[in-house]
Amino acid sequence: MRMALRRLRLNFTPQRILAVLFLLVLGYLVVVPLGVMLQETFTVHPMERFQIPGSVTGDFTTAHWERTFVGPNARPFFYRPLINTLIISFGLSALALVIGGLLAWLVVRTNLPFKGLISNAAIIPYIMPSWTLALAWITLFKNQRIGGQPGIFQALTGIATPDWFAYGLFPITITLALHYFPFGFMLIGGAIRNIDAQLEESAELLGASRATILRRVVFPLVLPAIFSTFLLTFSKGLGTFGTPAFLGGPVREFVLSTSLYANLIGQRPGIAYIAAVVMILMGVLVLYMDHKIIGARRSFVTISGKGARAGSVDLGRWRLPVAAGVLLFLFSVIAVPIGALAIDTLMLRPGIYRLENLSLHYWIGEASLAIGLGTGEPGILRNSQLMGALANTLRLALVVALVCGVLGMLIGYTVVRLRGTTVSRLLDQLSFLPYLMPSIALGSIFLALFAVARGPIPSLYGTFWLLAIACIVSYLPYAVKAGINAMMQIGPELEEAAIMSGASWFTRMRRILFPVQKATYFSGMLLPFISVTRELSLLILLVTPATQLATTITLRYTDRGWYPYTNGMVLLLVIIVITTTALSRRIMKTDLAKGLGG
Amino acid sequence: MLPRLPSHRQASALLAALVAAALLAFATAQAEDWSAVEEAALAEGRLVVYSTTSRTVPAGESFQALTGIQVEVVRLGEQDLIERAFQESRAGVRNVDMIVVEDWPAARELLANTGYFVNYVPPTAAERFAPHHQDPLVLGYINRIFGFNTEKHDEDPFTNVWELTMPQYSGRVMIRDVAITGEHQNAFTEWVRRSDELEAAYTELTGEALQMTEPNAGLEFIKRFLQNDPIIMTSDTRIAEAVGARGQDDPPYGMFYVYSKHRDIPLQDLALADSRAIQPTLGYYYPIVLQLASDARNPNAAKMFMEYLGTLEGFAPWADSPGVYTPNPDQVPFEGDMPLAWWEEQLWGYDLDFAVQNRGIVLDTWFRYAQR
Repeated sequence: MRMALRRLRLNFTPQRILAVLFLLVLGYLVVVPLGVMLQETFTVHPMERFQIPGSVTGDFTTAHWERTFVGPNARPFFYRPLINTLIISFGLSALALVIGGLLAWLVVRTNLPFKGLISNAAIIPYIMPSWTLALAWITLFKNQRIGGQPGIFQALTGIATPDWFAYGLFPITITLALHYFPFGFMLIGGAIRNIDAQLEESAELLGASRATILRRVVFPLVLPAIFSTFLLTFSKGLGTFGTPAFLGGPVREFVLSTSLYANLIGQRPGIAYIAAVVMILMGVLVLYMDHKIIGARRSFVTISGKGARAGSVDLGRWRLPVAAGVLLFLFSVIAVPIGALAIDTLMLRPGIYRLENLSLHYWIGEASLAIGLGTGEPGILRNSQLMGALANTLRLALVVALVCGVLGMLIGYTVVRLRGTTVSRLLDQLSFLPYLMPSIALGSIFLALFAVARGPIPSLYGTFWLLAIACIVSYLPYAVKAGINAMMQIGPELEEAAIMSGASWFTRMRRILFPVQKATYFSGMLLPFISVTRELSLLILLVTPATQLATTITLRYTDRGWYPYTNGMVLLLVIIVITTTALSRRIMKTDLAKGLGG
Repeated sequence: MLPRLPSHRQASALLAALVAAALLAFATAQAEDWSAVEEAALAEGRLVVYSTTSRTVPAGESFQALTGIQVEVVRLGEQDLIERAFQESRAGVRNVDMIVVEDWPAARELLANTGYFVNYVPPTAAERFAPHHQDPLVLGYINRIFGFNTEKHDEDPFTNVWELTMPQYSGRVMIRDVAITGEHQNAFTEWVRRSDELEAAYTELTGEALQMTEPNAGLEFIKRFLQNDPIIMTSDTRIAEAVGARGQDDPPYGMFYVYSKHRDIPLQDLALADSRAIQPTLGYYYPIVLQLASDARNPNAAKMFMEYLGTLEGFAPWADSPGVYTPNPDQVPFEGDMPLAWWEEQLWGYDLDFAVQNRGIVLDTWFRYAQR
């Protein structure tokens, strides 16, 4: 009897209670949307019925799957875009690994000067929206094919760029890699930093060559970070829409996300969601490989976390040239797009880059139908609607970041403490799934799920909390990754010691587990914060006039071609995010690198 | 995107009930006492509008200044608006009072035929609009045209749409991606429906019969057009700027971009003009439709706003550029533009039923040949 009671008590450890709780919540927020999407791929929708003879709206059908995988449209709708998508995804991941890895090695393991500046700057490309780089590429390298003013490169050199260089898979891959290499930098940097130098020294004493050390010691230790980078960047490559559409269209190279959007706009959600399901499946495959290959090694890395720091490699006379090269690279991927945006907001008549055309009208001008584009809108800084939307965006970003941070920590705790169990694996994978789901689909499903009260869940329609929940689910993967990694580095001994001295679970969390890895948790909040500020497709179906956000209200200007306003708003957001990052670094001692679990 | 749809029988019962309700609403609208509507509207004091056109925002502001009724506008893309209005209505969320919607074939299918939204004809529209602009009630028409660079061409270079499939235009024609533009898909269904005219135009241009591998001349055009290496863009604004920029040796040509971009010609010093000669159609035109939510919380305020949008004052935010036309015949065309009646003669629209049934085929054909 007492044994049974004890067992029962054991069964209700905090981590188990949490596990059940999280499985329930994530089950509703992740598995249900996934189920809905799958169901849609087997359903006849109103506009689809005309192409499925004899069918009625709402019927069960396998026609969407047949059309996608066999039949005359399979190649243009699916296989060709799939190949392009894979080329982009693999290329962008490889590039992000090389650029990010190289930068990480230089910053962590060499005597490179300006390390602080470089590691701060190296994450900015991710802070900017990815389309700014695509836009910059076109401005620089476009040729006569898409008309208008010639590209800057051609204007300066007189050399016309070839089409494959200016448009299509090549620039798509490059610009996306330039946007996502900070992932590689953060993750690999963290991993290199954590390598115990004694391991390398032992190998050296045993007579291993540098190449052998790199291959047999360093590489295996960095492998998990490489895989994580690959997973994160590869998945992004699968789902991105804006950049491929903008750069691929001129030479008619399309990707899977084009199929997804085209079929949504064509009111054929059945086919559209198959593209989404395929993207999710490919992501899950990478996730599975990650678990299979890395799973065993991950613990090995973290146990050796705190050792002697490795001595840094002396770059010798290459020290300054390398630093100059790195700074030049970062300058061109950061300053060029930001500068281009900034200049566009100052040109009274767009596209005419002359001194007399300079004006602050779009920033502080009064509403006028006669000046510049004649928008009849007040300048950004005195536009109360824009400023209100900006405030909403910041509020949302803060709330989402905080909640994600706390949830990430708790889920991380649960996953790590229950390690090796099915529940732990399930929780780990469930919390990563939203990363793979197309946000446009997620937004629509959340609208359907929360529009009305369902059981104990009240209707959240039109509330700030609906936006918050959508964002929290969407960006939880970042925070959970941070949480898991933080917990991995804390041995169970600390907590056991606290239990012995009678500390309750809350005390343990508050006094030990949280403070020890504070920096990591705060970093885990930064990525959700950054991502919320530029989220559009997830939230467009959920905002109401009372909850307008910077990105949703900017649409109004974009579709009238009033780019100075659009660019100005983007610029404001970028400035705010950079300031927040810098401030939080200083105050909280956070490190974005740890946010992804370095 | 529609989890758990009602069964067919439920749907048709629902439909019947809704048609009856709509007819009733229509009948009462005819007989209704407008001053009572105004009074009730003032009592409601506010309304929520989902709109694909951002100019609804300034229209709402001037309406508010006039009446004190607060207009909250949510600006959404075509597909987003339909999706959102559909999902909300199905869930029974009564947020939106009226919609300003494009891609009417799709919207009619998902929003009107389901009974979630009904047509309403306010007094000015009933009195002044021609009958075919009243159901659905049209806020205005948008036209999309063919454009060229006037530095390169003193005169209109186009005579026939089939020219765009020929070597002299290879790699030089820009069009917004048909795959992500619902209205382009609708417009091409008309090219399928009027295949004979298109075929005749081919013969007129070349003196030969059109040899087809596709089932009709509309789809044959799509195939040949795509095989002629067109440039697929994502924004009409960028098309207009690229075609009209000065100082180009070999400027591109624009197909099916919105004519309203020509408003920017003086502002941006563009060398841009639209073709008034290309046969058999100068482009296409389509309606921006107004619909009332059938369970609106503020139906009277919405009716009053609809009325306002049918007046010249209410339409003013759209009238400040060419390429947007109210059905209100009192409107004076924008400088250099032609009145709606002229464009109706020169442009193909599209047949609603035919469009909704055939745009899937158009999209399929586009995709089949679009990939390089």
